[in-house]
Amino acid sequence: MSASEPSHLCSDHGGHRASVADLPIPAALREKWQRLETRRHFLGRAGKVLGGAALASLVGDRVMAAAARPGSAPAFSHVPHFAPRAKRCIYLFMAGGPPQLDMWDYKPGLAALFDRDIPSSVLGEQALTGMTAGQTRFPIAPSPWKFAQQGRSGRWVSELLPWTGKVVDEMAVIHSMNTDAINHEPAELLMCTGDMNPGKPAIGSWLAYGLGSVNRNLPTFVVLNSKLVQGVPSFPVTPRLWSSGFLSSEYAGVAFRSEGSPVLYLDDPAGMKREARKELVDSVNALNRMTAAEVGDPETNARISQYEMAFRMQTAVPELTDLSDEPASTWELYGDEARDPGSFAYNCLLSRRMAERGVRFTQINQRGWDLHGGAEKFTPMICAASDRGCYALITDLKRRGLLDETLVVWGGEFGRTTYCQGLLTKEKFGRDHHPRSFTTWMAGGGVKPGISYGETDAYSYNVVRDPVQVRDFNATILHLLGVDHERLTFKFQGLDQKLTGVVSAKVVQGLLA
Amino acid sequence: MKNTRTTPNFTRLRSRTVGGRVAWVLALGWCATSLAAEDRTLSFNDEVVPILSENCYACHGPDPGMRKADLRLDRREFAVMPHEDSGPAILPGEPDRSPLVHRIESTDEDERMPPLEAHKSLTSDEIALLRRWIKEGAEYQEHWAFIAPERPPLPAVARDDWAENPIDRFVLERLEREGLSPSPPADRRALLRRVTLDLTGLPPTPEELEAFGRDELSDAYERRVNDLLSRASYGEHRARYWLDAARYADTHGLHTDKFRSVWPFRDYVIKAFNENKPFDQFVREQIAGDLYLVEDVDQIVATAFVRLGIANSESGTIEEEQSTILLTERTKAFSGVFLGMTTGCAACHDHKFDPTTQKDFYQLGAFFNNLDEFFHTGQRPDWPPTIVVPPDENRDAYQAVLAQRAVVQRQLEERRAQAQSLIADWIRTGPAPAHTISPKALQLRLRLDEGKGSVLSNSAPGAEISSIVVDGGPPEWGEDTWLWPSFRMSEKSRVRFPGAIGDVGADEAFSISTWLQPRANALAEIRPPLGTIVAKVDATHGSRGWGLYYNSVNKPKASDEVANPDGEEATEPTPEVEKLTSHGKLMLRLVGDTVDEAIIVQTRDIVLTREVPRWSHVVATYDGSRTAAGVRLYVDGVAQELEIVADRLSGEIRTPVPMQLSAEEGETNRLLSTRFQDFRFYQRELTGEEAKHLPRAELVGEILAQDPAEWSEDQFKWVSDYYFAEHDEPTLRAKDRLAVFDVELDALAKGGVVTLVSKESPRLAYAQVLDRGVYSQRIERVRPSVPHFLPPLSPDAPRNRRGLAEWVVRADNPLTARVTVNRWWQQLFGMGLVETTNDFGLVGARPSNRPLLDWLAVDFRESGWDVKRFYKQLVMSATYRQSARITPELLERDPDNRLLARGPRFRMDAEMVRDAALAASGLLVTKIGGPSAKPYQPAGLWEALTYPESDAFKPDKYVRADGDGLYRRSVYTFTKRQALIPNMEILDQPNRDESCTRRPRANTPLQALVLMNDPQWLEAARRLAERVMVHADSPVARLELLGELVVSRPWTARERAVFTESLQKYQTLYADDEAAAVELIEHGESEPSPALAATELAPWMLVASTALNLDETLNK
Repeated sequence: MSASEPSHLCSDHGGHRASVADLPIPAALREKWQRLETRRHFLGRAGKVLGGAALASLVGDRVMAAAARPGSAPAFSHVPHFAPRAKRCIYLFMAGGPPQLDMWDYKPGLAALFDRDIPSSVLGEQALTGMTAGQTRFPIAPSPWKFAQQGRSGRWVSELLPWTGKVVDEMAVIHSMNTDAINHEPAELLMCTGDMNPGKPAIGSWLAYGLGSVNRNLPTFVVLNSKLVQGVPSFPVTPRLWSSGFLSSEYAGVAFRSEGSPVLYLDDPAGMKREARKELVDSVNALNRMTAAEVGDPETNARISQYEMAFRMQTAVPELTDLSDEPASTWELYGDEARDPGSFAYNCLLSRRMAERGVRFTQINQRGWDLHGGAEKFTPMICAASDRGCYALITDLKRRGLLDETLVVWGGEFGRTTYCQGLLTKEKFGRDHHPRSFTTWMAGGGVKPGISYGETDAYSYNVVRDPVQVRDFNATILHLLGVDHERLTFKFQGLDQKLTGVVSAKVVQGLLA
Repeated sequence: MKNTRTTPNFTRLRSRTVGGRVAWVLALGWCATSLAAEDRTLSFNDEVVPILSENCYACHGPDPGMRKADLRLDRREFAVMPHEDSGPAILPGEPDRSPLVHRIESTDEDERMPPLEAHKSLTSDEIALLRRWIKEGAEYQEHWAFIAPERPPLPAVARDDWAENPIDRFVLERLEREGLSPSPPADRRALLRRVTLDLTGLPPTPEELEAFGRDELSDAYERRVNDLLSRASYGEHRARYWLDAARYADTHGLHTDKFRSVWPFRDYVIKAFNENKPFDQFVREQIAGDLYLVEDVDQIVATAFVRLGIANSESGTIEEEQSTILLTERTKAFSGVFLGMTTGCAACHDHKFDPTTQKDFYQLGAFFNNLDEFFHTGQRPDWPPTIVVPPDENRDAYQAVLAQRAVVQRQLEERRAQAQSLIADWIRTGPAPAHTISPKALQLRLRLDEGKGSVLSNSAPGAEISSIVVDGGPPEWGEDTWLWPSFRMSEKSRVRFPGAIGDVGADEAFSISTWLQPRANALAEIRPPLGTIVAKVDATHGSRGWGLYYNSVNKPKASDEVANPDGEEATEPTPEVEKLTSHGKLMLRLVGDTVDEAIIVQTRDIVLTREVPRWSHVVATYDGSRTAAGVRLYVDGVAQELEIVADRLSGEIRTPVPMQLSAEEGETNRLLSTRFQDFRFYQRELTGEEAKHLPRAELVGEILAQDPAEWSEDQFKWVSDYYFAEHDEPTLRAKDRLAVFDVELDALAKGGVVTLVSKESPRLAYAQVLDRGVYSQRIERVRPSVPHFLPPLSPDAPRNRRGLAEWVVRADNPLTARVTVNRWWQQLFGMGLVETTNDFGLVGARPSNRPLLDWLAVDFRESGWDVKRFYKQLVMSATYRQSARITPELLERDPDNRLLARGPRFRMDAEMVRDAALAASGLLVTKIGGPSAKPYQPAGLWEALTYPESDAFKPDKYVRADGDGLYRRSVYTFTKRQALIPNMEILDQPNRDESCTRRPRANTPLQALVLMNDPQWLEAARRLAERVMVHADSPVARLELLGELVVSRPWTARERAVFTESLQKYQTLYADDEAAAVELIEHGESEPSPALAATELAPWMLVASTALNLDETLNK
């Protein structure tokens, strides 16, 4: 692709279904696909027998499957199920569990209750983690940070978020999130894959499977793992959070790396001349075409197009990550930190570039939110590391007219307790995992801007109004992207599996614009 | 006695069966008449069920929770039964009158079934079929897979000269019915390539191709097959598939995903296939090898199977939740591997489609719920239970001792098998355990067998206070079973004893007696090391009072004592965190006016453990003498050696603060969650004799006082455990001898490798049926059993894993043999005869050729579960030997090759692709077994997964192998669940989080990038180039060898032209750029051949790389 014509790459073709003819690809390849398309009769049969995913892998390409849709009936032939409000999603995943009452869930009344025990009526009967279960006291640790009202909406925002506070009018802030899991890995899996047990596809994988690719030279689902914030304890994020589970591995998130080649094995090895690489791909494909003619296996044709795509990715990905064409205004917006590959701000910038190029789902993972002890020290550090990136991303998308069609989601796997973990003093406190209420926000495509949704009690402990379960949250994300969570299914282990699982989930209507 | 108890049979584990070999050559003569389609009655299983299960069962199936309109269509008696407001849904013989037909044919959207929101619809053909079925009487059949297979007769076929063996008859009959013909045989080279890859996972060598080409004898192919089956590479290749199913990996999987030492299991599997261990024996060993007579250490190594699943080490872990997760994981894995059933759904609710109920699930789970283990891995490589596999040089001696030990073990088991009659004799002839402890001065006895509620009753005779109410929250009942379902206080509950209970002065004698199970605590290492068992202490007055405590101390863990737990990584230090403070001393403390005025006495030895959930009995006595010498401590009836920490008591210990179980008043308590049973407080000093008999003898006396016919299974176990431990002379003698052997075995195992195994706990196995699968929502306590719709356990089978193992391989088990042969068929043909290899349930795929599947299953079982014979049969068939060429007609008619009108062709699994490249290039190292190897992978991948800031969780570093370790077969590659080597993952290697019996086969650009750019393949390409260049000078001869090595044939002229042209381009490109050429050939650890000029080698390397990237190379 040519860097001088990004405008061709940044839309979903005006909302039309992607077709081969629309794609910015070499003419020869386009012709080949069109030839393949004439096998629609066969593909239709295969679609019925194999289901959508297998069909796609058969021709090696989701766009192919999309092109083959009319007249055939693959599993996802109705996707999108209705007009999407957003064409793509950028998910800012805050691994570890951000402290809702130090950032978003303003509870001024708690200040007077410093070190008082949280009432047992509030604490209730739920199981605590092994880390605080042995405590005899559950003293209230009010947020030591000041809150102020921001934006036209007058939202209360913590002083820890000076940048994000400027864009609150774009956001719908959900205070009533709650989850079933109390430990990190199960809770993260539940947020990202809809199930506490490993083995299920991530949201991005479901969308790649259901909606397919827009840019043929880049992965449909990209994951950016931000670097650790120096000095903040962080636990690992696992690739299970972007796994394709039981879906074909082609739908798995591709984790870009901040050091070395962004995509593993992407770069030509040292000593490989570009012409030699081209010759190698050409000769492999010439030989494979002979095999295809001799053996007649459609998989061979698929492999030919995959080698071509691999070759193109070798150019497209470096072009994506080459920020030298970014204007000065970009750096003013994101700050100099964005020049540091792997920083949260850098990843936000990269996610905007991906949005422009049609990457369907970008997930930025930021670890460092597991603030058990030393919360007084670590909370400001991790907030500072992620605050400006959020602001810059939303502002940037808006300036470029992309916010309306890009859904931005921010959140972690659970919240943190109001009661202190460990010793509470005026200077020091800690917060344990808190699944019963936490705060997330959404902005952009299809989201009602400048609102709050749901409410917690005076202790930021229990949800008292409009609870949002993880499955409802995920159903809403799919909805905004034009997907009915009940209908995007894949048959596995005898069940029509879906992101939102077996318990019924609902789209949160109150969040929709 | 009430319950039927098990009489174990003493058959050895090892199967001696070899009979039942039915020569299939003879069977060829059998034939069956196949009915023309129009004449026959519809088959419910083959034609009707697929429609009903896909469209109707979700709402009208076995799950009551989902059922709509109270209508069930999955069972005939319900489908033809009248309803509240209408008649039956189906009127057999009368489709026109059947409401079901009306509903599926209705044009009214509100009427029509399936309803709109189900997004399903019936085709007119399907509706016609249902009509016909009802017309024919709407007969139901048990689901096909739950009926034990019978050997079907061989079908008649028109072209009976084509068949090489019975497999072909079944395949051909189907093809002829479809009007298709088999493909011609594959070219000999293609066939040798296919069979060599299928049997060994490696391509044939040019020499083998050549020899096979020259061998014109009629049995040339069979001799090749026999040779391949005898190679060590055969077992390595077979093992790899089994390891996918068994979910084998080298790490725990969750959280910090630390190393787990269990690779001896991998080597066991390889060895089992290579020795052609009968499959039934292989099954028994993995499920329950520890519960048979142990004659071979491999039997124990095999039991790692149960424990191979992912397990957690997160600090926030809740023990009961973890234990439920492990039960569920193991039950799912077992069901998937051996039964081909997806039972996991039934952990939360009755299965929606299959008849598996929630109770079935937990009864099955109960088999795996009785291991002697701690539910938290503790981040340990040697997460107990483990054994140390003896080093090779001691292996023979070790096995010899085991053999002797097994003789004694057999005597013990034989003795135990006579328990019923021996105990009856004992009761009749005495002396019965007349050890009833006098209830004198017994102030408090809490049996804690209430089983529910918050009121604890005091059964001390004449007690003033007859019940105590638990404050602060109800206790947890029934999480475990010891004397009876257990009692545990929740974190918030408190048991305070009112009034005079425990109210003693410094000059008064008293005793405490209780069973307790210190609850395993994930955070033991960072909690303060003291826990209260019971105390009456006034913290506001200098801790005046008395208390009994558990005093945690560090104990080195087993892996510290075992050399080389991590194989290659032995040089790395053991992480500090592994030093769990899970062991403790027992301590009694009496404090007078000030803390300095105290008696503190503790056991010299560590006597309690939290490392596994273990019940201990403790007694503490004090004689009122105000001296430490007046204190005695007993554990499990044995007086302990004591250490006196303080011995200066003056003043008074009496305090108004109430006695409290498990805590001092006002204390932040670490043992709140300890389980207790039969807690007693005496206002006198118990004698040593009394302390000895309190744990068991008295309890047994109480049981003996009841009518044996009324005994529960637990009571019978208590009586027999006691009888054999105390009274049965032959057993006592045998146990002494066992102990001697065990010392010898330990000595011989020194220097060996530690590996995870299964070990049964001394309790009876139970599980709790859990509402919605939530660990704390216990509904019903169940004993182990098998799903109700499958043949029941034999009445004499033990209710443990051994009973389960026997059931799995029993001839009437309808699933095991079918599921197994189906999966092995899939390995060779690319797709199982039942496509859903892990789901033989109601919504699993229908078998594409059920007679063939059943024939294979029965034949395999009757052959004595002979695995090599089975694979040989497959590869000897004409079906297997067909050409894989796909004609347009076949592609149209049968794109997936389910009818088998052509030979198999599909992309090889990740490991085969890599191994073939290593073999072709000559890099492959053929060493068998040992610690897992760490070949090339991009830097930084493991480090990204660690807690870099925490000393407690030191980062794991990927320490890449040198030399041979880079080139070993992929079955030996270290499997880190959270970070597979990406090149393998990109080629669809599963992460082994769950049992995997069918891999996806994606075709992606990332695969192309791996094969073109990964150093493993670059190095292979360079070595391959060197190999062909050394072989010959002429490009033609070099290319020919390249073809032989990579695709097992010479190139065609057109192919050669492509290579030749490319070669020239590469030569031109690199001729003037020696630096680039040098860079290119230097990929990989091995040194490029100095005899070859870089500018020559580099172009050939690219030619070789091209060959390694070809579709044909990647396909078998």
